[in-house]
Amino acid sequence: MRTRRLSLAVAYVISVMLLAGCSGIAPERDPYTLNVHMGAEPGTLNPITATDSYAHAINLKIYETLVDRDYDTLEVKPMLAERWDMSPDHLKFRFYLKKGIIWSDGVEFTADDVVYSYDRIMDPKVSSAQLKVYYIDIKSCKKINKYAVEFTYSRPYYLALIFCGGMPIVPKHVFSNGTDFNTHRNNRFPVGTGPYKFERWDTGKNIILVRNERYRGAKPEIRRVVYKIISEGSVALQMLKKGEIDLMGVRDIEWVRQTNSKKFTDNFYKLKYYLPSFSYIGWNEQRPFFKDRRVRLAMTHLINRKEILDKLLFGLGEIVTGPFYIFGKANDPGIQPWPYDPERARQLLKEAGWIDRDGDGILDRDGKKFSFTFTISSGSKFAERLVSILKEDFARAGIEMDINRYEWAVYLDKIQSRNFDATSLGWSDPDFQDDPYQIWHSSQIRGGSNYIGFSNKEADRIIEAARTEFNEAKRNRMYHRFHRILHDEQPYTFMYTSPALAVVSRRFTNVKVHTRGMNYLEWKVRKPQ
Amino acid sequence: MKKYLVKRILLIVPTLLGITFITYMMIRLAPGDYTKLKMGMEGALKSGSISKEILEQEKKLYGLDKPIIVGYFDWLAKSARLDFGISRKDGRPVWDRVWDALPITLTLNIISMIIIYIISIPMGIISAVKKESAFDRGSSLVLFILYSLPTFWVGLLLLLYLGSGEYLNLFPLGGFRSDWAAEAGLFTRILDVGWHLVLPVATLTYGGFAFLSRYTRANMLEVINQQYIMTARAKGLSEKKVVFVHAFRNSLIPLITLMATLLPGLLGGSVIVESIFSVPGMGMLAFEAILSRDIPVIMAIETIAALLTLAGILIADLSYALADPRIRLEAKI
Repeated sequence: MRTRRLSLAVAYVISVMLLAGCSGIAPERDPYTLNVHMGAEPGTLNPITATDSYAHAINLKIYETLVDRDYDTLEVKPMLAERWDMSPDHLKFRFYLKKGIIWSDGVEFTADDVVYSYDRIMDPKVSSAQLKVYYIDIKSCKKINKYAVEFTYSRPYYLALIFCGGMPIVPKHVFSNGTDFNTHRNNRFPVGTGPYKFERWDTGKNIILVRNERYRGAKPEIRRVVYKIISEGSVALQMLKKGEIDLMGVRDIEWVRQTNSKKFTDNFYKLKYYLPSFSYIGWNEQRPFFKDRRVRLAMTHLINRKEILDKLLFGLGEIVTGPFYIFGKANDPGIQPWPYDPERARQLLKEAGWIDRDGDGILDRDGKKFSFTFTISSGSKFAERLVSILKEDFARAGIEMDINRYEWAVYLDKIQSRNFDATSLGWSDPDFQDDPYQIWHSSQIRGGSNYIGFSNKEADRIIEAARTEFNEAKRNRMYHRFHRILHDEQPYTFMYTSPALAVVSRRFTNVKVHTRGMNYLEWKVRKPQ
Repeated sequence: MKKYLVKRILLIVPTLLGITFITYMMIRLAPGDYTKLKMGMEGALKSGSISKEILEQEKKLYGLDKPIIVGYFDWLAKSARLDFGISRKDGRPVWDRVWDALPITLTLNIISMIIIYIISIPMGIISAVKKESAFDRGSSLVLFILYSLPTFWVGLLLLLYLGSGEYLNLFPLGGFRSDWAAEAGLFTRILDVGWHLVLPVATLTYGGFAFLSRYTRANMLEVINQQYIMTARAKGLSEKKVVFVHAFRNSLIPLITLMATLLPGLLGGSVIVESIFSVPGMGMLAFEAILSRDIPVIMAIETIAALLTLAGILIADLSYALADPRIRLEAKI
């Protein structure tokens, strides 16, 4: 009995080993397939209801919009529309659609699809809150004829063209069959006009796209794209090294420590590039401590940003002085970051009335100690390590700091209800919009993104005027002034912009980095020698 | 006995109602809700008051505008018809999502539990019989070392050394089956799944031996010092018979109590193991649902788990009578 059991086990092990051995050769790798790492699974692939960045990245290859922005110059260029007119008052936008564009199921794309998509976005029954906020200023979206649509805005806005031209468009004939839009079958089986079409979704495993042979433009060389869902980044990196993944984003520590061997760099490109995003520490101006500009400035002087960058982020990133994309024209490169200067900080605090009067090592004013709470999201490793450094540095200057950690949903709730003293977060602006209105205009203090309560009359004026300024050079000059105001007021301590770090298999050539990042549509497959 | 059974089964109903109501209340009362999360930092906070109106619309869509009590009864009425609703994440029926995840978790858990029981119970018995022997001390040391190794570390090391190809290339780097296996025959498919399961099962089991074997050992020790064991020995029974028939059967009662947690335990997945080995099981499903406040999914999983726990307790109570004829189950509870 015992020997039989043993032999069964041995047989199992042997067969497993055999399988393992075979697997090295069994699945012949198709050179025209690109395997992309995805850290989490999107819920749906409906561009109107989906919110996560993975769904967005995949939808970009399946769905198209009326206009697109150039990958390098960011200039607006035709996509589904061949041209467009803007009325002299900047309120009406008429798009003339290209003729003969077909959805991947063979039906022609027309103005009805555009109007239908707009109606769905604004439909209260459709779960598209995250998009609705962008289209509030559109009064109407009208079909002019089969190949023309017109959007009418209620007020002029320099981003209006990008917003209505970049509106996601879904096929009317597929979605208008009477079933609920939010749970429609095709939310997980998209039909688009783009260079790739949807093939299969293995829940929890991968999403597969194939080249759209009916696509009107130049066909990409990569025929098949497999998005693999691997939640553990370090495992994905092993799969990349093994050749099962061709493209993935890596963390800073992996970039510095695990991807530098000769074997690795022989097989993979390492690409580092910046997209508009920055991290910051926000000081809640509605709290007594941070109402005073001098105190906020002192806090900035107390933070050794260079050292934190080197220690926590391996030096990967740039210190920023304002909210704009550092390589963009709205950013004023002449503004230098405030230096690390505890002496100056102490002086500023003294000027603001914060002096250690009772000799307990903690500053006080009007009998109140300088003791505040720093709120962070418990998921953020960076914030966790940042606050422990800050706590020590602030203590040396006589400021007491407590730390509160909350799970993301709870954290959001705290920030949205303005129930915090200070916090650390980041903003990203993936569409290169620049407009500071949502974050900095004083009208956004109640309920908007200006949750730290920044209010400055001149800044408000600039923000409003810039929104209707259609001359880019003039607008950028206004933004330079705005940048200067933020620098002087320090409502945030602006921290860093961190690069995107990507590794790509050298099986592909023509892998380029543009202003907007990478685009595998242009990649070529390296021919075997 | 029959009366007892009926009464116990009837009692499950109010217990279940209580559990589900408390769960529902807790999710609704927890800060943050699905719509706010969906809009996130960059959404909910944009455009202020106008977005508030949109947020209200969105809340209505998910029934989050209703009072908790009403929401609960809505849920109850639906789920009484076995309709657990639609998952907020992907708009699919909750059942579909559970059915996707369940087979994976069940397979993993059944295999690893069988392994844990098969290995640790005999080890516990031997340790008890040969108390303080080299085997007892040695096995206890090894098992406790295993017990104290963190799962994520062991899982990643196993993958790195046995799967990455940098050292050995014996196993796949996660997943549940190979792409190419879809067209293969049944036998190959089973082997393929087995091949994928080796590392996750190893990670799930190694830490489980210590508890169960020590538990068995402690119970056996208690029994082995009883007078009836001495009597059995005095009768001249073989040591094998004394240990396995007289002693082990009597030490079963505490093990049965443990079995009550087995049934719900089969369903619970390990978030860590699932995420390291990229197997989308119940652990990830529940974890993600909680983080994103996906109420229908949370409620469905919670209800199933509650049902299984209650069933487990009932089965354990019934098995007491089987293991120990002295225990009589009566309708008085």
